[in-house]
Amino acid sequence: METLTHILNGFAVCLQPINLWYTFLGVFLGTIVGVLPGIGPSATIALLIPVTFGMNPTSALIMMAGVYYGTKYGGSTTAILIRTPGEAASVMTSIDGYEMARKGRAGAALAVSAIGSFIAGTIGVVALTLFAVPLTTMALKFGPAEYFTLMLFAMTAVSSLTGKSAAKGMLSTLLGLMIATIGIDLQSGQPRYTMGIAEFQDGVGFIVVVVGLFAMAEVFRGMEGLHKGTAPKAIRISGKLWLTREEWRRSIGPIWRGGIIGFIIGVLPGAGGTIASILSYTTEKRVSKHPEEFGKGAIEGVAGPEAANNSDTAGALVPLLTLGVPGGGATAVMLGAFIMYGIQPGPLLFQNRPDLVWGLVDSMYIGNIMLLILNLPLIGLFVRLLYIPAGILYPLIVTISAIGSFGINGSQLDLYLLLFFGVVGYIFEKVDIPVAPLVLSLVLGGMMEQSFRQAMTISGGNPVIFVSSAITVTLLIFSVLSIALPFILPRLKAMREARDAA
Amino acid sequence: MADRVIFACIVILAGIYFYATAQIPSLEIGDPLGPKAFPRLLGIGLLVTAGMLLLEMWRESANKSDTSGQEPKGDHVHLYVIGGVSIWTALYFLVFERFGYVVASTLYLLALMAYFNRGKWIANVTTAVLFAVGSYGMFNYLLGVSLPKGFLPY
Repeated sequence: METLTHILNGFAVCLQPINLWYTFLGVFLGTIVGVLPGIGPSATIALLIPVTFGMNPTSALIMMAGVYYGTKYGGSTTAILIRTPGEAASVMTSIDGYEMARKGRAGAALAVSAIGSFIAGTIGVVALTLFAVPLTTMALKFGPAEYFTLMLFAMTAVSSLTGKSAAKGMLSTLLGLMIATIGIDLQSGQPRYTMGIAEFQDGVGFIVVVVGLFAMAEVFRGMEGLHKGTAPKAIRISGKLWLTREEWRRSIGPIWRGGIIGFIIGVLPGAGGTIASILSYTTEKRVSKHPEEFGKGAIEGVAGPEAANNSDTAGALVPLLTLGVPGGGATAVMLGAFIMYGIQPGPLLFQNRPDLVWGLVDSMYIGNIMLLILNLPLIGLFVRLLYIPAGILYPLIVTISAIGSFGINGSQLDLYLLLFFGVVGYIFEKVDIPVAPLVLSLVLGGMMEQSFRQAMTISGGNPVIFVSSAITVTLLIFSVLSIALPFILPRLKAMREARDAA
Repeated sequence: MADRVIFACIVILAGIYFYATAQIPSLEIGDPLGPKAFPRLLGIGLLVTAGMLLLEMWRESANKSDTSGQEPKGDHVHLYVIGGVSIWTALYFLVFERFGYVVASTLYLLALMAYFNRGKWIANVTTAVLFAVGSYGMFNYLLGVSLPKGFLPY
């Protein structure tokens, strides 16, 4: 009953004119960012942090969440019209969505992705509303050892699931943790790895790292594409922006299934929107009576993945809000934003700041309605963004990134770090090292070390504390499995194939 | 080839990190571990990662023995372009405070647009100037993000 009151109060918060405005601003910006290649949700949320200093944190977080789920709507437009996902999770939409556009059904593809996103986004928010409270009850039992093993699991899962190689994912995670150790040690007051640079005493700011790795690196990749002459051209929207009765009948099942798959994948650490949409696509292909149409413009191949990557965002907010531990890059940046506003997400936040939590969650219902309007009748406005020459767009992104990075501390060193991490991100992409694990571990690194040391202090220096409860043991087993499975599964497969062949 | 370089980098990095960790002065009062323990674990983690990478390289070489990963011809030309953009960006950041945001950004944008959006002078000049001035006004005066004014009086 108390929870219901909080949920209703959340609506009172998010329906305040100022919060409605920030919800709109967030989803509007999210759609723009989703449409534009070169800048994704993580970098945008990071760039918004300096701008939102001094703002009411509830309004700021409502706006940032709007950017996060708004990009998923915008990303599909680019995927459908130029076969390049504007946002990584739209990668599957670019297959059948683009084929539909080529056949003159761009309007239907855009309509089904907007409607699918809306229905699944709402399914996701309903599930977030239902699952958040039971999880916080469990999370209240967590001590430092449980938190340490939970963060360990989040990191190992992300590192083994985000890239092609578990070792490179692990490397990315460790680099993030190592960067997090730069600065004054909170417990002993000793400076670590500061190399005599005064600015490093406060550590390396995660905003600069995120913007460098995501926005700057993407600019370099885009400029390389421009120089190679491989920059894609957009197809003009054709056909009515609505579905025929037959298309609607074919889409509704995939939307529901995608919505459920997306939410479950979103809750789990590591997987994220891209895996959710791939899983939805393969599921739809498997259950379809016409699997041969997939890849040639099957509407199910747009409806399912688009639904999955939208409900994934609501799912991803579950561990962030209830446990205070994000499971991916964009939610890690949101955790960074929470911390910069002096708010620690987790079970206590539900008790101490129900207005903020439920205001944020409820704003997503409103934001999804706004996004449906922005991405159906007003889609023409956003499509125009695709005609901005990339040769103009990419230099502007560098300038915006410079403003965001310089704006935090007014330090020129942050600008050099921005460039450094941009080059690092560009090289990492070339050699298949994923960057999301680095961002996650950079944000979680400080908390992880503190949990580790607190647990060891409680146990008097005895590491047995990490195997002293069912929760820690389970999480440790999951962590070991997430590292070991990429090595074991191919071996088992090879052995089975050898046995079948014999 | 790339993986071998990564492997070497990990081992060197682990060595440097262990050395730098040993240099941290410790006053281990009330904290049984001190500021070095967690970094040491990370150093060990790096060495384990190097081992994992070695295993992956070995498994890959066993799977495809005769594929020689040849770089497409002319790929280095694109790298020169990215190198040039990086140097130009470093120069932009170097004069960011001295020249001020508006002047530095206008020059930076003009040069890049002249190269990547060739021949469209009017669009390039208009965008570079209007964006630099407009974004300065918006961030400096409306959003409270302080940007350097450099040469200019405002």
